[in-house]
Amino acid sequence: MHIKTERNRIRRGETLTGYLFILPTMLGFSLFIIGPMIAAIILGFYYWDLFTPPKFVGLDNYKALLKDIHVFTVYKNTLIFVSGVVPLNVGGGLLIALALNRKFNVMFKYILRTTYFFPMVTSVTAIALVWNLLLNTDLGIVNYYFGKIGIPRINWLLSSRLAKVSVILIDVWKNIGFYMIVCLAGLQNIPRLFYEAAEIDGASGWQRFLYITFPLLSPTIFFLIIIGLINAFQIFDMSFVLTRGGPGDATRTVVMYIYETGFRFFNMGYATTVSLSLFILIATLTLVQFKISKGWVFYR
Amino acid sequence: MEREKLLFFSGKLILYFILFIGVIIMVTPFIWMFSTSFGTVETAFALPPRWTPDLTNLNAYQQLLKSIPFLKYMWNSFKIASIITVGQLFTCSTAAYAFARIYFKGRNFLFLLLLSSMMIPTQVTVVPLFILMRRINLYNTHFSLILPVLVSAFGVFLLRQFFLTLPAELEDAAKIDGASHFIIYSRIILPLSGPALSALAILCFLYFWNELFRPLIFLSSLDNFTIPVGLMLLRGQYDIGSPTRLMAAVTLAVIPVLIVFLFAQRYIIEGITLTGIK
Repeated sequence: MHIKTERNRIRRGETLTGYLFILPTMLGFSLFIIGPMIAAIILGFYYWDLFTPPKFVGLDNYKALLKDIHVFTVYKNTLIFVSGVVPLNVGGGLLIALALNRKFNVMFKYILRTTYFFPMVTSVTAIALVWNLLLNTDLGIVNYYFGKIGIPRINWLLSSRLAKVSVILIDVWKNIGFYMIVCLAGLQNIPRLFYEAAEIDGASGWQRFLYITFPLLSPTIFFLIIIGLINAFQIFDMSFVLTRGGPGDATRTVVMYIYETGFRFFNMGYATTVSLSLFILIATLTLVQFKISKGWVFYR
Repeated sequence: MEREKLLFFSGKLILYFILFIGVIIMVTPFIWMFSTSFGTVETAFALPPRWTPDLTNLNAYQQLLKSIPFLKYMWNSFKIASIITVGQLFTCSTAAYAFARIYFKGRNFLFLLLLSSMMIPTQVTVVPLFILMRRINLYNTHFSLILPVLVSAFGVFLLRQFFLTLPAELEDAAKIDGASHFIIYSRIILPLSGPALSALAILCFLYFWNELFRPLIFLSSLDNFTIPVGLMLLRGQYDIGSPTRLMAAVTLAVIPVLIVFLFAQRYIIEGITLTGIK
């Protein structure tokens, strides 16, 4: 009896201490994430330009969203970016990691890893400004050196098709190092023993990849796809700085549209409605990914 | 046998070559940025480009500092990123300790709730936060950028992953001696967590040093700008800004990151793998 109450007292003490330790995080979390999230849902039912009192408009923002030709365009652009950026980053990162995960000269390996990874930590604004000049049709060095090897001038940023390609390529240039690093770490976690056994059994390089590397790396690849999708749907800086969303609307993304609706035209209610639609899309896709993952991701 | 060897060797050579081309593609923009910032307006668009910077020509830098208070912007970015980093180190480490080591009611539920909040894009909360900051008169202050991000679900996750790898036996002795969680957290766990704390600190600092979206929205007066907003300002409305001046500013924005990166690459990689692998 005495022991039991003593244990309860300790347990209560544990719970109290636990809450105390998470208090700062939970406080900030409720005030700056959950609170604004709820506010955003409410705001979606209002028209508000900040200068006049908010007006309740029911589902008007949502109806407008479905009819808005701009919304269609920015979602289309964003989906193009996502479908370019995610496979190139994950696939390319994996390929580089596989290449680097060999017996190379240590110094060579270090230089490769460092240079591939460095753009990842720089600011999108800075590197997009550099690339904006490098990709200039007449004066940029990319076209200059391409010309040297016989490739005709490319209108990187001024054609609406190629501007999309440019945004995708620069995004991959910047982020591929991250995918490479994570894949490398995943590869180094695979025990050598498996490969030795496969080699004794006479498995070819391709078979070793298919039956050892890929299954054991699948949780890592899955993680990268999830992160990649979430990030790619939120592309903002890259098109905002590199092409200003242009030419025309060719590289305008959903987040750029949210920014302009909210902070250029001060249509607060509609801006949150668009952002909520983005959130719902990301959340749904993430859940679907988790469902699909049961079929191909292998947890040791 | 000889042929196989030759094939293997040439395959390796091709791989070296491709990887080497990759290195050039990764490095060239930075070299161009650097050498252009030391050039003149005439040489900025010279083709072929001048790859050797004339380090005595500081014209672009002088021009830059005359036209906008860029050093102030660097200081602003440094100040904002540092305060956020210190704040996150505190809030994330205590929460991560609780989620890794203390058994309390609702622990798993709260942790999952926190993790799932990572799916909420900044853009959803930014409009209500903007309205809130105007209400409480924090709009156009650095505080409006700092306050909402003093907590981080990612940071809690990263540190918790690390704390879970520390053997529990470490604390058992202390527990038998009657040490409280506060003692175990501050005297045992934190001193052992140098690498993870450094990783979080560096990732957090770099993220906010580079951030464009929120400063663009929350700051309005020229004096308060951060580096990325300053860069956008320099670029001007119609891309008419001088390329050398712009590259001088970009160089000033990138060099500190490069220095941090070269010294702390190990921690950055460790931090990323900690969240990516488990």
